[in-house]
Amino acid sequence: MELIWDGLKEACQLVLTFDPLVMSAAGRTVVISTLAVFLAAVIGLPLGTVLARVEFRGKRVLILVIRAAMAVPTVFVGVVCFALFARRGVLGPLELLYTPWAIVIGELMLALPIVLAISHGAIKSLDPRVAETAMTLGAGSFRRWCTYLSEARTGIVLAILSAYARCVSELGIAMMVGGNIKERTRTLATATALETGKGEFARGMAMGLILLLIALAVTFGIALLSREERES
Amino acid sequence: MKSMINVEKLTVKKRGTTICSIKSLDVQPCQRIAILGPNGSGKSTFLRVLAGLEQEFHGKCTVNSPQIERVYVHQNPFLFRGSVVSNVTYGLRARKRTESSALDTAGSILRKLGIANLSNRDVCNLSGGEKRRVAIARAVILRPQLLLFDEPFAEIDDDGVSKIVGLLEELTESTVLIASPTPISDRIDAREFHLLNCVERNPSMD
Repeated sequence: MELIWDGLKEACQLVLTFDPLVMSAAGRTVVISTLAVFLAAVIGLPLGTVLARVEFRGKRVLILVIRAAMAVPTVFVGVVCFALFARRGVLGPLELLYTPWAIVIGELMLALPIVLAISHGAIKSLDPRVAETAMTLGAGSFRRWCTYLSEARTGIVLAILSAYARCVSELGIAMMVGGNIKERTRTLATATALETGKGEFARGMAMGLILLLIALAVTFGIALLSREERES
Repeated sequence: MKSMINVEKLTVKKRGTTICSIKSLDVQPCQRIAILGPNGSGKSTFLRVLAGLEQEFHGKCTVNSPQIERVYVHQNPFLFRGSVVSNVTYGLRARKRTESSALDTAGSILRKLGIANLSNRDVCNLSGGEKRRVAIARAVILRPQLLLFDEPFAEIDDDGVSKIVGLLEELTESTVLIASPTPISDRIDAREFHLLNCVERNPSMD
């Protein structure tokens, strides 16, 4: 209990004094996760709609694979990314290993199945009259897609939030392909692991609590933006 | 004059059961047709075929109007999330009409239907009859060549019905088909077309 109390005190101190190391790790965590989830949404939402609306061969198997990919351990994604970005890897010449971009790509691989699977489910379960009404009123394919997203926005927000929650707190990818380099690739999760490993429990706890605060702030922020609470 | 709708030996089957069967029907442009028949006679299915929402059927069904000019209003209309006015202007925005022009036209239609006061109301807070009127406004505002209404007068009071009929009378260039389980001759001047209950005449059920 004392550990948690000390952690809370130190977390407040670190935040109030704008500790440069904590602030840079926090900023990097937010930027990397936001970018990864943004890319996952840009790719995943149109594909999720296609999965929900278009029939093609092998669709059921593909959906099963995507759902299974939601549960892939982050360490495994980290290993795969390491193999891709390592000097002898397929993407080795790009020299992405131990850069923030490597973490973004790794987290994108983590976020994409979540966005795809949840958005597919949300759009698939829409009332069939949504598509029929949009069609009969003359909506083109882009406007129809926007209508699906708008009608399924509870599920879409859930997809984005779940992906963000998984990315912001993930450790395996950031550690393996980021390398936990101070001022370069250190995120709050890797900093928490590092401080705890060094025996700085209170500082580790403080970092963890700041991570929790960011996750909560993002959740509330998105809920407010999407006006879900008021409408439901 | 080229027919707007020409149907011959149209049959729609679902899981082996005939749910709609029409021997022959010819509709001229700008005509008003009341599709009458009991529940289960296939009125909605027929309108859905004409709207292009039901693709699997046997026989001949020709509609001389492009898809964008056929507007169908469901028996239980679906309103998109948002305000009444955003729903009513949906089709106009899809047709690239400017926001201000769409809002002007929507205001005029809503006034004619007696629901101008609902303009900015969230559709979640509307009654069944109000929702139906909004859906009708959303279709009528487009002045399409072919308007297909599935039981449009259900849940609507007499004043509302007369306002809808008045609005339809203004659409002199549209062909209007109205499905109803009961006669509507006292409400609108329309040629009647009767459908029999499919279960009664389905040979497999004999």
